[in-house]
Amino acid sequence: MDNEKLSLPNYDIPEDMQDVVAITTLDRLYNWGRRSSVWPLMFGLACCAIEMIAAQTARYDMARFGMEVMRPTPRQADMMLVSGTVTKKMLPVIVRLYNQMPEPKYVVAMGACASGGGPFKEGYNVVAGIDKFLPVDIYIPGCPPTPQALIAGMIKLQEKIDKESIKKVRWYNKEKKDGNYVPMPILGPDLIDVRRNAEIRDISAKAAVLKESA
Amino acid sequence: MYGLGILKGLSVTWKRFWDTYIDDISWAMSGRKRYHTEEGIRHRSSKNTKGIFTVQYPEEQLIVPEEFRFIPFLVYEEQADGKKEPRCTACGICSKACPPQCIWIVRSSDSVTGKPVSTPAEFYIDMDICMNCGFCAEYCPFDAIKMDHDFDIASQGRNVYNLEKLLKPASYYAEVRPLNYNQEEEARKAKEAAKAARAAGTAAAPTA
Repeated sequence: MDNEKLSLPNYDIPEDMQDVVAITTLDRLYNWGRRSSVWPLMFGLACCAIEMIAAQTARYDMARFGMEVMRPTPRQADMMLVSGTVTKKMLPVIVRLYNQMPEPKYVVAMGACASGGGPFKEGYNVVAGIDKFLPVDIYIPGCPPTPQALIAGMIKLQEKIDKESIKKVRWYNKEKKDGNYVPMPILGPDLIDVRRNAEIRDISAKAAVLKESA
Repeated sequence: MYGLGILKGLSVTWKRFWDTYIDDISWAMSGRKRYHTEEGIRHRSSKNTKGIFTVQYPEEQLIVPEEFRFIPFLVYEEQADGKKEPRCTACGICSKACPPQCIWIVRSSDSVTGKPVSTPAEFYIDMDICMNCGFCAEYCPFDAIKMDHDFDIASQGRNVYNLEKLLKPASYYAEVRPLNYNQEEEARKAKEAAKAARAAGTAAAPTA
């Protein structure tokens, strides 16, 4: 956002004062400050991560949007770029990382697997869309999305940030205490229950014996 | 000597930095535009480029080859009265060929007799499942579904496209993939000519 858009006053400033005074809303200033320094959390899950890396290189240069600082710690990150297939084994880690991120925080589902499960959508070990667990802000289709498609999605995120209001954002909502905390996925219904591995192995061994004898 | 490698690496960056200005000036001297023009983008994407090669995405786009594919779209023929006539016959071959199974078609039926009509009543593609493989376009016997070049489709919700969003005119297809379009048109004309010749032959046969 340039200066003209930042100070869009609904008040008439006298002509001789226009170069000296700027009137803006707190929301606009706040959003302007955040939209151009969205730092992604540095992690990649699958092939989409390669495109994410390509988007950071000199050819596409995400630094032009203030998104070049990939933070390896969730404490310093603003945006979680879920780039790739989210397996059930990986899900608790991702949810924990999300809970550790300070507000304001955004989640971008990059690619088919993160947004809807992609080709693994009915698989036994893949989460059919990260939006089942985390509040996703932007969905970027593609398998994988090209770096330019990723940047297009990032621009959509900036547009979303522009429209936010401090009064309405979920992280300052006092009524919803702990409104941002995402409960950890439960073993069994959400994830593979590793405690049952021995039991499952037993069952499959018995089935193999029965098949041989038949 | 310690630090020599760092200096070598930095000199590459330093050279690139000055090459950018040298290139800019030489392009400006010859009256060509290095930025925001097709020629400039092509040069900066080539191996001969020196200096900066960033494609400044929202302002300019990387020039993609014709066979670049992103998401599918449905082709419709523009009728003289402005009606959209989809080429799709709702045969469902694309939805069967689709590896991640993201196509959902509902065939329309005659309102009086209830018999199926070969046009789609509803057509959905879940773009958040689509893996851009292009099998639908390859398998379609009616050239009705084609792969698009447009990739700026990220949104704040799930991207499930309906018939209205999927349909794009044949002229758009000709614009995006001119070589493919002309090839298909020629093949279709040849087929029609052969059919007409055969019809003429069978019509002539009984009299002979």
